[in-house]
Amino acid sequence: MNPDKLLVVKDLATTFNTSAGPLPAVGGVSFDLNKNETLGIVGESGSGKTVLARTIMGLQPRTNVAVTGSVLLNGHEMVGVSEAEKRKYWGTEVAMVFQDPMTSLNPVMRIGKQIDETLRVRLGMSKDAAKARAIELLELVGIPSPTQRYGAFPGQLSGGMRQRVVIATALACSPKLLMADEPTTGLDVTIQAQILNLLEDLKEQFHMSVVLITHDLGVVATRTSRIVVMYAGRVVEIGTTREVFTNHRMPYTRALLESSPKVSNPSHTRLVTIPGRPPNLLKLSLGCSFAPRCAYATNQCHQQRPELQSAEEPGHSFACWNPLPSKREAATR
Amino acid sequence: MSEFIQETEMAQEALLEASMVERPEKNQPLGPMFWICVGWLALNIIGAIFANVLPVQNPLNQDYNFINSGPSLHHIFGTDDLGRDIFARIVYGSRVSIAVGAGSMLIGFGIGAPLGMLAAYRRGRFDTFVTTVMYVFLAFPAIIAVIAVLSFWTPRSMFKIIVVIGFASVPLVYRVIRTATLAIATKDYVIAAKVQGATDRRILMKELLPNIAPIGISFLLIGVATVVTLEGALAFLGLSVNPPTPSWGNMINESRTILAENPWLVLFPSLALCLFLLCLNFIGDRVRSHFDVTEVKL
Repeated sequence: MNPDKLLVVKDLATTFNTSAGPLPAVGGVSFDLNKNETLGIVGESGSGKTVLARTIMGLQPRTNVAVTGSVLLNGHEMVGVSEAEKRKYWGTEVAMVFQDPMTSLNPVMRIGKQIDETLRVRLGMSKDAAKARAIELLELVGIPSPTQRYGAFPGQLSGGMRQRVVIATALACSPKLLMADEPTTGLDVTIQAQILNLLEDLKEQFHMSVVLITHDLGVVATRTSRIVVMYAGRVVEIGTTREVFTNHRMPYTRALLESSPKVSNPSHTRLVTIPGRPPNLLKLSLGCSFAPRCAYATNQCHQQRPELQSAEEPGHSFACWNPLPSKREAATR
Repeated sequence: MSEFIQETEMAQEALLEASMVERPEKNQPLGPMFWICVGWLALNIIGAIFANVLPVQNPLNQDYNFINSGPSLHHIFGTDDLGRDIFARIVYGSRVSIAVGAGSMLIGFGIGAPLGMLAAYRRGRFDTFVTTVMYVFLAFPAIIAVIAVLSFWTPRSMFKIIVVIGFASVPLVYRVIRTATLAIATKDYVIAAKVQGATDRRILMKELLPNIAPIGISFLLIGVATVVTLEGALAFLGLSVNPPTPSWGNMINESRTILAENPWLVLFPSLALCLFLLCLNFIGDRVRSHFDVTEVKL
């Protein structure tokens, strides 16, 4: 196994057994993540980003879900193993930052306690050592006068501060991989930038890899080295951030990029939207799931699902029968 | 250029400060009413425990000079139709009422609460099984079950009444605690604790228990009130402690037949019961809001 690969996801599929039939929330997802790399996962609401993150973590409901494929986290298989086995890697190998800081802290526990609980249980620290380390972590995530804040309850902190505490909790055992599931969605725009910068700094300090899940392309543009674009639970394009932004081949990626507002637009420009709505995962067609909304769709698109194929740039692949012309092709034409 | 950077940095710092507005941690004061209630409850409990050493008349003693009399210097709360001192009977009666109320709720919560929490946290087959069993019990009218068991389980004693009412309350407690836990167990902070490597026991004790405690305590207090009155209803059917042992419940029930002649008889035990429950509820409410840290206090 390649020692540089921290996370190898192979053919991962998560299917929920609902009363209306099997619901493939994530299907056939494969990608890998190098050490010290930041990977972005983008897609619109309902594209399976959060389910993918939770599947990688090994967090599924106890019943009515089937997970197949493999997730190798630093060489440890996370799919199909017992909770006790996963608990060994939770916190120390992989940690998670949740979407909504208002609900991801226990409202009746002092914030310092929430951090040093982990330190004492997982790292066997003494009470005093854990407290000192917790204060250190609070300082590290930019909470002013951490010694006083140690005894505060979550209700006394603003949303941005709470997200910092959540991050401090996640970092307590120095995980090698940090899963950030829309870490800034619940925050003001000004605070969003602070939190993202903080994550970037901490990534360097802790030598972590980060998986940044978001629907906001602006968030991933400058902070990730590679991007995975998801649609209807599948990867439709994957490549370096530069390639995906400038030389994307999948029409969905383009539609996604075009629908984000730009500062350079003149005022009163109408926002570009993708026509139609995301497909019903219970009634997926045999073909490409984006076909009904795609301007380039042909008969083949409706009948046969395209597999990921490599683009010219190494590491860049896309799933499309009628890809957009690459830059090089366009130049030769 | 460097000036510009400096300015931006200063602005960012100011922003950071602003986002950090201190929210005071100030608990709501308990207030004098709280302490009055605590005092009253303490008085009740001390009275119940030390009834035989306190200067209280014998509750079984009949004073033939005062039958069905109102309050007087000899009998401050009056006497009943057999000439027994009402005040003494209320003090002694609190023994049964408080013991049955507290004891049966202890059993109900001791069994129902852990089961409810575990079922809601574990889900799956365990939850389905326990919940089904509990709902079968709930579907059956509890009072009939209690009456049936008590009719056959003789001779009656306070202990047996506590056990029977306690077990009858298990499904009710289970339902309330399970529902409360279900709402908390799927919260992000519980999952967050889990992916930090917390064991199930830790999650149950540190994450779930403190969050469902307020609901549990409220239900406990209502439960005590309900059980004290239920004991009265059983007494009316002759299924509680054997007369002439007094309890608040059976005093109220006995007095109903002679209500027109002696209204004092129903007034004082009712007042004792009412004040006891009122104090319990008031204390419960104050304690909850005093220690509530989820709401921002300004």
